[in-house]
Amino acid sequence: MEKPKTLIQFRNIQKSFDDQIILKGIDLDINENEFVTLLGPSGCGKTTLLRILGGFLQQDEGEVYIAGKEISSLPPYKRELNTVFQKYALFPNMNVYENIAFGLRIKKVSNDIIEQKVMRMLRLIGLEGYEKREITQLSGGQQQRVAIARALVNEPNVLLLDEPLGALDLKLRKEMQYELKRIQQEVGITFIFVTHDQEEALTMSDKIVIMKEGEIQQIGSPVEIYNEPVNAYVANFIGESNILPGVMVHDELVRFDEQDFECVDKGYKPGERVDVVIRPEDIDIVGPNEGKLNGTVESVLFKGMLYEMMVETKPGTHVTVNMHITSEDANQNDDGHIHISGNSFYLDVEDMEGIEEKDLIARADAQAWNDETDEQLSIEHVETDLENKIGTYSITFTTVGGLSITKTIQVIDQQIVRDEKRNEGVSAFNFFKSKDEIQESVALDTDLKTWANAQGWRLSNEDEAIPLDVTYEFDPDKIAPGVYPVTFWTKGRVFKVHTTDFVEEGARVGLQFGPADIHVMEKEGYTS
Amino acid sequence: MKTWRRLAIPYLIWGSCMLLLPMLLIVFYSIVQPGNEVTTFSFTLNSYVRFFTDPNFLMILWRSLSVALKTTALCLLIGYPIAYWISRCSKKTQNLMILLITLPMWINMLVRTYAWIGLLSEGGPISIVLGWFGIHNVEILYTETAVLIGMVYNYLPFMVLQIHASLTKMDPSLVEAASDLGASPFQTFWRVIFPLSVPGVISGITLVFLPAISAFFIPKLLGGGGWFLIGNVIENQFITVGEWNFGSAISVIMALIMMLLMGLVRRADRKGAKEAKA
Repeated sequence: MEKPKTLIQFRNIQKSFDDQIILKGIDLDINENEFVTLLGPSGCGKTTLLRILGGFLQQDEGEVYIAGKEISSLPPYKRELNTVFQKYALFPNMNVYENIAFGLRIKKVSNDIIEQKVMRMLRLIGLEGYEKREITQLSGGQQQRVAIARALVNEPNVLLLDEPLGALDLKLRKEMQYELKRIQQEVGITFIFVTHDQEEALTMSDKIVIMKEGEIQQIGSPVEIYNEPVNAYVANFIGESNILPGVMVHDELVRFDEQDFECVDKGYKPGERVDVVIRPEDIDIVGPNEGKLNGTVESVLFKGMLYEMMVETKPGTHVTVNMHITSEDANQNDDGHIHISGNSFYLDVEDMEGIEEKDLIARADAQAWNDETDEQLSIEHVETDLENKIGTYSITFTTVGGLSITKTIQVIDQQIVRDEKRNEGVSAFNFFKSKDEIQESVALDTDLKTWANAQGWRLSNEDEAIPLDVTYEFDPDKIAPGVYPVTFWTKGRVFKVHTTDFVEEGARVGLQFGPADIHVMEKEGYTS
Repeated sequence: MKTWRRLAIPYLIWGSCMLLLPMLLIVFYSIVQPGNEVTTFSFTLNSYVRFFTDPNFLMILWRSLSVALKTTALCLLIGYPIAYWISRCSKKTQNLMILLITLPMWINMLVRTYAWIGLLSEGGPISIVLGWFGIHNVEILYTETAVLIGMVYNYLPFMVLQIHASLTKMDPSLVEAASDLGASPFQTFWRVIFPLSVPGVISGITLVFLPAISAFFIPKLLGGGGWFLIGNVIENQFITVGEWNFGSAISVIMALIMMLLMGLVRRADRKGAKEAKA
């Protein structure tokens, strides 16, 4: 096979707008007749790079070569490439025929040749008989095709496509993906396609360029990028993945989740921290203790061709507290139509610093109301002998008319559950509630977290909250006064698995995967 | 739905009293004998016959048409480049420019026109400046040139604003697309930008031509007594001579001419649009 010829070369392209750096020195070679996709989230610089090639933007630094010629000084109309714009940019004052003929008319091509070429383009895009139509009479997909034809009729060496499928609906988008690939193969020129849609990139490209924040992360064929992502960012962007932190023990052996696994990756330093990717479709569901890992099926989603399963192999960090269900009267006082209610509560001695009245009202969930008018009344006065040390204190809330309720505050040294390995801390307090408050709750899980003041956070960064799940054994509809345990959990290690076998939620399963299914990547400062 | 319609009733009453009724009255006055009342009248076309048989009036009509057409053409020629240039500026500059263009309109038109008398008069600033270049004894005030200067000065903003609006409405990627397809800036302008700004040009023409043809105080002030336009004749008939019937007849003739011309412009626009597509 002939070695492909390089057609376009970007050398150290840098660009910034208003002091914001968009491109940080891009080097990229694009070959003849290649379908190249620039892939990345919005703001990664992919469109800027395309516009620099098209001539609509000038780079701050670096060179662009087409067929060995530096073209930075050429205006767009002197560059031998054509663009399909994001919103098509068809000329509304011309019909389909004239739109496609525009470039040829500029070049003063004779009328009969224009007609031949335009008709050939209409056949290529499957819009024969549409030449007299107005642009406004076309559907989005048809406008898309006309925009492609208008560019291709000039027989450019390179076609630039700036998110051309973004405005189409899903079904049409899929159709156009095949259509574009077919057209590219038929006309045999270089397509440079910009998108943020990984599926589009995988379907159509010969080469994918993954960009992030103005830098190229990886260049490769769809298969290479899918199977051998260079870092967690790429793995996450292309396809779905389970990404786990791990340590390389030695060549072909990686350790994660406190187990050693054989893999096929080499060349890392022993003890080097790495990211490990296992694709959801590479994991097989087997019986408990038959696989490499065991877990509980947390959820099963039907996705048409397969089931997407979340399997928890290790429980999260958790803390269990006591919920005291008190009888109704103890928590409520009334004076005719005026009512006041409140709960006893626990406080952490560490949280005492700077605590305010409104915090106490919130923690006690103190409320006052008039049952005749249904009006909420304000808590006008709070009196307490609360001190900044461990002990039991009383607190009195008073509302309009002097009606009051007295409860207790327990100041304790709250134990925090820490899991250094997982870098997680969780804490929660015992709490007092009445049966009615449990039964009237519309979102009990959320309310339980609020009442218990349950919190999860990263030990390394106290400001980074970790969402918690809550489990309990009681039946909220039939609850009676007493003490009930409530447990708050962080997410454990959860694997996403794509499988065609259905397994019930809650079932114990084994997870099986081979050494080649484990992809080891260099650590990158990226957390999903 | 019914309630909404009922809400429109006050506007309908206002509209018929203030717009329709006066127009009908003018048509009525133009076709009855002088001195007739609404209750007792007899029809006559004498006023129309008088207008079309008097060469003086026909000459004034022709002069009015010619001044209005020249004003419109000048406004378009001066206004389009200004509007185009403004539309290429940054958003902030554009707002400033539009403000500057509309700023003179905050001052009464009459005052501004009086100012031109001073500027154009003998020994005024303009003749002094011309004097520096060795041009002496040019009489501008009380000539057609003075009237045209006054008209263009007063009506130019309408043209600029309309064209500017149509240019900024245009998708900038159309210009990029034309350039991408090989069109030089000049070709891009004539093949894409100008055709798409035609609706703005048409409404600009309308907004300049209509007031220009019926203008009366600009020609009166800057044209002097000897430079009558049709608006001045109508004013004269109503205010000085008191011949309401003849004045009404001229007004009706003017209204018909304007309708005819505007109809032609719109048809030309539609035809042009079709040809551009074909």
